[in-house]
Order: sequence, then structure tokens, then C-alpha cells
Amino acid sequence: MLQINDLGYQYPHSAKPALDGISLTARRGQVLGLLGPNGAGKTTLISHLAGLLPIQRGQILIDGVPLEQVREDAPTRIAVAPQEYAFYPTLSVRENLQCFGAASRIGGKLREERIAQSLAFSQLERFADTRAARLSGGLKRRLNLAIALLPSPELVLFDEPTVGVDPQSRAFILEAVKTLARQGIAVIYTTHYMEEIEAIADHALIMDHGKVLRDGTLSDLLSEGATRLRLIVGNMDAATVCDHLAALGAPRIEGEYIVVTLDAGVSPATAIAAVESAGARIEQLDYGHYNLEHLFMALTQRSLRDQ
Amino acid sequence: MMSRPQLAILAALVRKELTVLLRDGHALASLFLMPVIFIVIMSLALKDIYNPPLFGRAYAVDVRDKGPLADELMKRWVEKHGEPKALPADPTEALRRGKLRYVVAIEPTFSEVVSAPGTPSGVQVRLIADPALEISLFRATEAELSALVGEIRAEALQDRFTGLSTKGGQAIRLLVSTERLTLSLHPTAVQQNVPAWLIFGMFFVVNAIANLLVQEHDNGTLSRLLTLGVSPGIQLLSKGLPYLIVNCLQAALMLAVGVWLMPVLGGDGLSLTGIHWGSLALLLASLSIAAVGMALALASLIRTHAQASTIGPILNVLMAALGGVMVPRSIMPSAMQTLAGYSPMNWGLEGLMAVLLRHADPGEIMQPVLSLATFGSVMLVAAVILFKRRTRQ
Repeated sequence: MLQINDLGYQYPHSAKPALDGISLTARRGQVLGLLGPNGAGKTTLISHLAGLLPIQRGQILIDGVPLEQVREDAPTRIAVAPQEYAFYPTLSVRENLQCFGAASRIGGKLREERIAQSLAFSQLERFADTRAARLSGGLKRRLNLAIALLPSPELVLFDEPTVGVDPQSRAFILEAVKTLARQGIAVIYTTHYMEEIEAIADHALIMDHGKVLRDGTLSDLLSEGATRLRLIVGNMDAATVCDHLAALGAPRIEGEYIVVTLDAGVSPATAIAAVESAGARIEQLDYGHYNLEHLFMALTQRSLRDQ
Repeated sequence: MMSRPQLAILAALVRKELTVLLRDGHALASLFLMPVIFIVIMSLALKDIYNPPLFGRAYAVDVRDKGPLADELMKRWVEKHGEPKALPADPTEALRRGKLRYVVAIEPTFSEVVSAPGTPSGVQVRLIADPALEISLFRATEAELSALVGEIRAEALQDRFTGLSTKGGQAIRLLVSTERLTLSLHPTAVQQNVPAWLIFGMFFVVNAIANLLVQEHDNGTLSRLLTLGVSPGIQLLSKGLPYLIVNCLQAALMLAVGVWLMPVLGGDGLSLTGIHWGSLALLLASLSIAAVGMALALASLIRTHAQASTIGPILNVLMAALGGVMVPRSIMPSAMQTLAGYSPMNWGLEGLMAVLLRHADPGEIMQPVLSLATFGSVMLVAAVILFKRRTRQ
């Protein structure tokens, strides 16, 4: 469905590129999770897909057709559910849907049908005649979603859609995203919340400083650290410990941690024994599969919420 | 030319703008109520400045002459200025306190001296005025009194030497005829203030449009429309068209206030009888293009609500002050008058005054119409460029 090749973008007056050689693929019926802290380039990427920024370098293809052409011919194939409440607060839910339905070039009876479908999907029927400003935060997110789905898009971009919503609305939105994917829609979902990616994404992509740090299925990413031993020693400098571990794998220093990916056939017990026999006192260690939090921290040296 | 789907989008967005505006009490008040209030207050407050009444001002007389000519003088004065107040014990103090605007004092020898040939022996009539009386009114009263005394003296001498009586000021009235043209270029307070504050109100759309654009930029609706393939041109047009309608409604309301409300409130009425309606429509259309064009250009430049709430009104007030809305251009010093010629509000005001007071036809107002239309077009082009740049940020 979506193919991005070597996408690069640098804002005017900016010293560093916001996107630097991004490549990815999104398929129909799949949720692609985009993880990254502020400044990672997620919003710039979404803005490209939404047609809000020109392509400076690289290529974006929709079913093999350049994005510019798709946006010229059928811009509503791609929809955005933005982080902001992108609707008119003084209009009612239905009036908003009618306005954006018309802006999506849906006319007459079909528009009314689509409005009814979107209201039903977002469970907003009861609030159809309520002014948008009077909706709760969660309902506003649902209206954002309902507007995005009006033109029956093939690719939906969710830009941090659960920021500031209650747990019930968050669960509703996550379930809606999964339902859309089941209906064959390609979904790109950006968030700060790794548990959301773990809950809904088939494929995840970790970005920072405009680059893709990891790209793979969720299971691949989580098993990436299967032979990874991470430890903190108390009475020896990290570089010396790395020297002692060099024969057993590929050690490196990550912040206060010493991380070593053990060679095939080397057990963690062997590595621990090697460190202790060198006289080092192990204060903390973990071994085995990553969760996304660990992987993210290992890749970016910072927490997602540590902006 | 726009395609049918584009027209449908434009229609939906215009409908949206009008609905949003109708539900925004503050915007409606600033666009419609504020100029009406200005028209009413300024017209009533400045009524006497534009049309000073000589009749009906509180005055007293101190007639010490019992002769017939003093009686005749007072009779004619009262005919024009109404009955005098009772003479207070201390007329000077009454004048200083503003209880009287002037006092006319006639000396005991008035009838005798005025009817005698030769150079009069001394002052026979005195005019003493309130220190706060406008100088123009003082001069007018002084001139009228002098003329009346001269008239009575001429009549008395003619009667005495020829026996031909021309009493009652008939001879002077036959010789001198005065008429103030109703289509003069000296407007009444209403004739000045209705067009002036109408123009001010029309240009005030800058606030509403700027706040709207900032809000829609911030909440992402502008981006959402772009994502849906709605071009910046259609978005700008959808913002401008409703305000052209608003400008039409403002014009209708302000003119109605001048014609019907002001007379009820004790002001002069605005007369539209005999005006060239085509000229009025042409001028209002060009004014609206200028106002909406400037509003869209400024709105595309403005980034925050704070800027929208300050830059728009300040610019409007400056243009109004410079353009003759607040102070008529005719009473400005010549350097300021030259400067006023650079304000689009002044182009509109001069044009509207010509339509309302001189009943100008379209050919006569072509200069302000073309100036306003050119200004509006340049602003619209600037708005498109600035808006496109803004949507890229």
C-alpha cells in the first residue's frame, strides 16, 4: 500500500534534517506503530503523508503511484486523525461531519450515509446534535476519528490520538484502530505510549533524530535482545569489564549499563562468572527478551517520556 | 473557473463560516453593534459642531430704552431667537456660570441716537457672551445683531427723510436672499458619522477574520482541509465571501440607523432621496473588497490571538484617525490632509460623502472606486501568497 524510500527533509533555517533517509512499508490490514520522542521526526513524516510538506528528497508511493499524483487525483485515499481537535467547536457534531464531508467531495445521499456510518463507528449518535465544544476530551477524539473516516480512506494516519484522554476512551480508540485494520485499512499510528504499540501494532518502527533506528515486526523487535545481558558493576570501570567480556560476545557501554550480546552457545552464567572472577561486583543485571521500553532506551539512550 | 465539486466545497465552507459567525456573539457585536453605537453617540455628541443652532440658546435682554426702535429691535430678535430669559440681578455672573449664553443690552438713548442723522454719539447696543460660547457662534450673533441695528437705523432714516416706510425688514429681505443648499459639502453630524463609522465597521472585519484564522491554524482544521485536498485559494475565498456579505449587511444597517433611528433619537436624519444607487453599490463593493482583502492579508500574517487582538484594532484606529473617520479631513491642517489621502478609509469616506451629499454618479466616484479596488486586489494577492506560506509552516 505505502512505500517510502529514502525520505529526507530539512526545515528552512534548521541546522539538522528533520527526516534523514527514512524508508518504510505499510500494508493493508496492518497497523504500523511509529515510536519516537519529540523531535524524532514522526510529525514531519505524517505531514509528508498528509500532503502538508513537499518532498525534498526520496520517494513516497501509494500502490506504486507517487504520492503527489495520488493527492492530485484522490486526496481522500489518505486520512489523518490529528493530535489536535481539528474541527469547528461552535458547530455540532453533525454539522462538522457535513462540512468535512462536503470538503471530502462526498455529496448528497452518500454523504448522509457516510455520516451515519461514521457516527455509528465512533459511537457518537447520541451526541450528533451537540456542539463540539461541549463534548468531553474522549468524545472529541472520537469526533476527530469520525471525520477522518468519512471519505472511506485506504490509509489512516493517527497522530498521538490518545494524548489526554481517559482510559475508557483510550481503550475505545485502540479497539477502533484494530477494527479498521481488520477491515483492510492500512494504519500508521504514532504514540509516546509503548504499551499501545504493543497492544495494537503488527509492525513497529522506532525513530529518533529523523532516522529509523529499528524497523520490524513486533515479535522480531521484542526478541532482538534474546541473548543480551545487561549489567551494572560497582567496583570496576566499565571499559575493563568490557575487556573481560570481549571473548564471550560483543560488549558495549550504554549509559551506566554494560550491554553484551552473547555469542551463540555462551550462557549468561558463563559471562557472569567471567565478570566475577575478574573481581567485579555485579550490582544489577537482566537477561533475555526486550520489552519496547528497554529496546527504545537501548537505541536512543533516553526514555520516551523523557523529552 | 472552479469545477462543480470545488463550488460545492466553497458553498459548504461559506455556510460553515456564516454559521460560526452567527454563533459568535462577540464578533457580531464588534461588527454590527459597535459601529451603530459610534454612529449614535458621535452624531448626537457632535450635532452642534456640524450644525450650530443660533435659535433657542438661553439669552436675556436689558432694554433701558422705552422708544419704538428698541421695541422693534427686540421684536425682530425674539422672532428669530425665541423669548428671552428673565434678566438676572447679576447678568455677568449668570454668563460666567453658563446659565445664559449671551445678554443684549440696549442703552436708554437707543431710539434717539439710531434715528438721528450723522455719526452716532456712542455705543447703544452691547452684546455680552458666555466665555464658553463657541467663537463662531459669538461672531454669528454679533454679525446678526449689527445687521439688525443697521437695518432699523436705515429704515428709521428713510422714514424720517423720505416718508417711505419699509418697516419689518422687508427692504433687506428683498435685497438679500440666503439659501443653504441641502446638497452642500458641509455635512451634518449624521451625514459625517454614518459613512465614517460604517467604513470603520467594514474594516473591522480584520479582527474577526484574523482571530478565525489563528484559531483554525492552531486547532488543525486548516491543515485538515488541506489534507482533504481543499486548496489554499478556496480556503481563503471561503473566509472572504461571507465577510463581503457581512459588509453588505453592515452597510444596510448603518444607513438604516442614519435614516430612521437618528431622527427618533433627536439627531438629524440621513436622507437617501435622490442619491445614485448604482454609485452607492459600486462604492460599497469596492470598499468591501478593500476591507476584506486587507483583513485576509493581515490575518494570513498574524500568528497568535494576542496579535490578532492588538494589531487589527490598532491599525483600524490609526487608519480611521488618519482617514477622517474620527476627525473630518476638512478641519485637519493641510499636512494632515495630505497624509489622510493615503488612507483607504479616506478614499472610501470621500467617495461615500460624494454619493450621499452630492448625489455623485458612478463616473464622479471612479477615482476612489478604482483606488479601493486596486488596494483590495493587491491585498488579496498578498493574502494568497502569505496564506500559502503559512500552510507550509
